[in-house]
Amino acid sequence: MNPRASIWLKTVYARTWVRTKSIYGEPLWVAVNVGFPFFTSLALSLLYSSAGLKSGIGFAFLGGVMVSFWGNVLWSMASQFNWDKQQGLFELYITSPAPISAILIGMSLGGILGTAPSAITLAIIGWILFAPPANPLWPLVAVTFALTLASLYAMGMALSSLYLVYGREADSVNEALHEPVSFLSGVYFPASLAFPAALQAIALVIPLAVGMDALQRTLFSLNSTGMADLTLVYRDILLLAIMGITLLFAASKALKILEEKGRRAGTIAVRLR
Amino acid sequence: MSYVRSLIASIRVGWARDFGWTNPILGFSLKTIAPIASTMTALTILYIGFRNGASITPDNFPSKLGFIVIGATLYAHISSYSWVPTLAIAEGKWTFVFPQVYVSTKSSPPYLAGRCLASFASSTVTSMASLAVAVGISLYLFGVAIPLVVTPLSIVLFGLALVVNIFASMGLGFLLGAYAILASKFEWALPTYVSGILMVFSGALFPVTSLPRPFSDIGDVLPFTEFIRASRAVLLYDTVGPYFYYLGLSFLGGVVLLAIGLLAFKYSEERARRLGVLDRKVV
Amino acid sequence: MSFRDAKPTVEVEDLHREFKGKEGTVLALDGVDLKVREGEVFGVLGPNGAGKTTMIRILSTLLLPSSGSARVMGWDVAKQPEKVRPLISTASGAERAGYDYITARGNLWFFSQLYGLPSKLAHERINQFSEMLGLTDYLDKKFYTLSTGYRQRVTVVRAFINDPKVVFLDEPTIGLDVMTALKIREFLLKQAKESGRTILLATHNMAEVDAICNRVGIIDKGKILACDTPMALKRSLGAPALVMEMTPPPDSASLEPMGKVDGVKGFTSSIDEERGVGRVQVVVDSDESAQGAIDFARKSGMNLISNWRQQTTLEEVFVALVGRGFREREHESPS
Repeated sequence: MNPRASIWLKTVYARTWVRTKSIYGEPLWVAVNVGFPFFTSLALSLLYSSAGLKSGIGFAFLGGVMVSFWGNVLWSMASQFNWDKQQGLFELYITSPAPISAILIGMSLGGILGTAPSAITLAIIGWILFAPPANPLWPLVAVTFALTLASLYAMGMALSSLYLVYGREADSVNEALHEPVSFLSGVYFPASLAFPAALQAIALVIPLAVGMDALQRTLFSLNSTGMADLTLVYRDILLLAIMGITLLFAASKALKILEEKGRRAGTIAVRLR
Repeated sequence: MSYVRSLIASIRVGWARDFGWTNPILGFSLKTIAPIASTMTALTILYIGFRNGASITPDNFPSKLGFIVIGATLYAHISSYSWVPTLAIAEGKWTFVFPQVYVSTKSSPPYLAGRCLASFASSTVTSMASLAVAVGISLYLFGVAIPLVVTPLSIVLFGLALVVNIFASMGLGFLLGAYAILASKFEWALPTYVSGILMVFSGALFPVTSLPRPFSDIGDVLPFTEFIRASRAVLLYDTVGPYFYYLGLSFLGGVVLLAIGLLAFKYSEERARRLGVLDRKVV
Repeated sequence: MSFRDAKPTVEVEDLHREFKGKEGTVLALDGVDLKVREGEVFGVLGPNGAGKTTMIRILSTLLLPSSGSARVMGWDVAKQPEKVRPLISTASGAERAGYDYITARGNLWFFSQLYGLPSKLAHERINQFSEMLGLTDYLDKKFYTLSTGYRQRVTVVRAFINDPKVVFLDEPTIGLDVMTALKIREFLLKQAKESGRTILLATHNMAEVDAICNRVGIIDKGKILACDTPMALKRSLGAPALVMEMTPPPDSASLEPMGKVDGVKGFTSSIDEERGVGRVQVVVDSDESAQGAIDFARKSGMNLISNWRQQTTLEEVFVALVGRGFREREHESPS
């Protein structure tokens, strides 16, 4: 095999392994990661109930599942390089022959595999507790879910380059991004039923918003006839595909530019300590 | 006097840490935006329920919005500063600040209390700002004015409720800190669980009485529930009598929780000293 | 052992690097010239802020030079970093780089994969180097449970796992106990001798340089002041250093004119609190200069209780070149 391709694949595998081993090697992680999303979903489900809309409970738990991934993208993807820099790991990546894109993809795959148990656990608990009404179109659910994850993690890769430059207050930026993006994306509710058209259009630049719209439609069939509006689902699928590819490309380019800038300015190995 | 000196110094350090941004406006904005967004999520769900469900009428919709906007804002306020002791301990072990504080004259309680108070101040500012903004956004999004009672009396009484709640939140903070001091990993896990539990049981988003028993009973004994009830009494329902009743319960519950928290923390510190984990996570 | 016939692996020509900041421009490297050969352990000795780390960062492709050139194994570090990276590795005493919830072995395997090593070979090397460094029993422990010394051993193993031709080490034994530091030094020597690796060691630990370096470059304020074997550098000062003890310990003001005595290159002073004695080590270029320093001390009213000559240390070489010691006076006289 071509040596460069071999290093690329080995790096992806190794970085995926590190991330999943960190999570599965500590069984408490699953319990820890389930906690807050579960209680949030529970609280919002009870809010839907008290608002006289029990059929909305499914949105609350779907939101909990997706928030697990969104949280992983923010805290373990976007911020990761900044934390690696603090530990002295980032400079080891730069001085190795491994491409940064391989490390990012490894992180993404590891993140998805590592978050999956908590997300699945949450979905099962929600189902057992509330049995929310749903009309899933499973093939479309699978496609939209996969594309949503792909473009979310591609966004995480793009954000990781921004964090390298501006990430000194990464925790605060994460906290600032987490809830507002969740809100604008309609993570816990169908934005199409709440937001004016202008706000919905603006939100369509956020991969999470597009993905949530598609998932909600394919799982809970949003229009008055009980049938999912497939035109809008296909629109969402197309948007997710375009976003995913664009963000992946942008991430790769941005990191290359930042590496060059970092080498010039001498900031690659700068640590707070 | 050195206790007070430690406390004041810790408040100053905590404030600098929370608001010591190079760009204070940016810092303030970043801290306010999360509570606004989480409040808006709850309000939007209620709105969807109003538009598509059967239990909310145009007459009671504004006050239900008010119910949530106050609860969600105060829940965020309580959450943000009750886990400051955990943060201070975890961060302090990493930076070696905590061991230095521990071996000082008055040791860690005034330090953690000071950090809590600083965070109380900063989160009060950001919570009130987010309350105001959420009211504004609701008007834009839902076309409904939330009927908050904003008079000099209601503001003073609300301020008093905020201050009384310090006992409960600080007590919770010390209780969580008691776990953090001994934890070798995932110190932040317990606070996130507790935050989540509070969201369900404190009556932040829906009346605690709507939960089945015994869960509603659990919610009823929490001082945080009484604090939120007292705040709604003055800011939404304009009823002073119930306000003092809830305030009294909040105060009593807070004092009890603070006592429990301090005892638990003292015990944990001793244990940590015995195990050798005051200045590290693992032996 | 002469390395003159060995091929150069690290070549630095007129290297400059400046940093622009809010407080102005700092010239970290000011025209450095260096050549290091295959199999050599080359020490870069200098105080904090001398430019050691900056040079290592440029050579390891983390940083671009402002001007000048640097080549590793013939490849330009600025223009061809992708050619350089497979051939080098770096380790710093300041790092404790590893993933906390992965074992030491897992961390080492992970880094081996960044260099495309087959897993079987990676584990063989992990086992081999770990045994040399006494790390075997700790390989299967999670990284966050390891003490400082063992984490640093993991760092050192990591630096050699990809079989690099050139290794850049930045204060690898800083903060470590004597035994761990010794073990690491033995390991480094073995790697250089048996595997022909070039090791560039940035440090301000004189004993380390004396113990393992074939040559030393003394750097200060971004310039290489001298470059030779440790023995040659010490001999370059001529006569061994003069040590004088006086009581009571003299203050800095009265000692200052010592530096102007003919033939005195520089001096350091310290106080032995227990004995109440001040000790002054004077770097001189001849026996006459040494006598001159003794005469000065007596004429200044200092009560000289003893004096002797001792083998020049690298610190004295440094003092001679730079005019100040690594350790400032340990105690100010009471005012």
